[in-house]
Amino acid sequence: MNGSLRLSPRALSWAAAARALSGPDLGGVALFAGRVRAERGAAGRVVALDYEVHAAPAIRVMREIDREARRRFGVERTVLWHRVGRVRAGEIAVIVGAAAGHRAPAFAAARFLIDELKKTVPIWKTERAGPRSNRSSPPRPR
Amino acid sequence: MRTGGGDKDLMDPGVGPSMAPSVRVLLFATARTAVGRSELDWPVPPSGLPAGALAAELAAAHPRLAPVLKASRLVRNGVPVGRPSARIRPGDEFAIHPPYGGG
Repeated sequence: MNGSLRLSPRALSWAAAARALSGPDLGGVALFAGRVRAERGAAGRVVALDYEVHAAPAIRVMREIDREARRRFGVERTVLWHRVGRVRAGEIAVIVGAAAGHRAPAFAAARFLIDELKKTVPIWKTERAGPRSNRSSPPRPR
Repeated sequence: MRTGGGDKDLMDPGVGPSMAPSVRVLLFATARTAVGRSELDWPVPPSGLPAGALAAELAAAHPRLAPVLKASRLVRNGVPVGRPSARIRPGDEFAIHPPYGGG
């Protein structure tokens, strides 16, 4: 099993993801991180996103995406990590990555992983804007 | 009559476990907002009922859920329901998945 899947309430580490994709034969490594933007919306500046997940089907679909990425692009290692619960502006919400002998399959697989994750994994986000809305509790995984 | 050891009074219909057949409905994101709850215990016939009929019952009871349902996936025990005629049986988990928003 060379795919690393994670749904975590804790901070995601770019360095740890890079380590998970390292190996002597892996000359091409593509790593993508998505951060929460502090953009201004109708309710004010976004201070955090609350990520909600339906855990069991989410993990099943993440496994399917991971298998398909390795089958389709022939990459050796993959990372598919997503935060759950409250993620503050500036923090990493998602990391995907792929490693192969060369760059082309690594880029293609990483793009596939993030696109499929957004389309098919049961995760939802709710914006929290301004200091007042920051006081409520984030949703818990189910 | 209490059975001791902290057990609930099984003779009290307001306290004891319900024996009526039901499914556990999970509501996420906009579906949760429309209903105002994240879970419902929904009664069904002992033989169950089609997923489409169950969704229609939920929409009738919670009118704000109706437009959300039109754009949502129906999920039985963690697996998307292929057809509205797929049967949801007592004890099943029935989830409403609005469009996803990860990343």
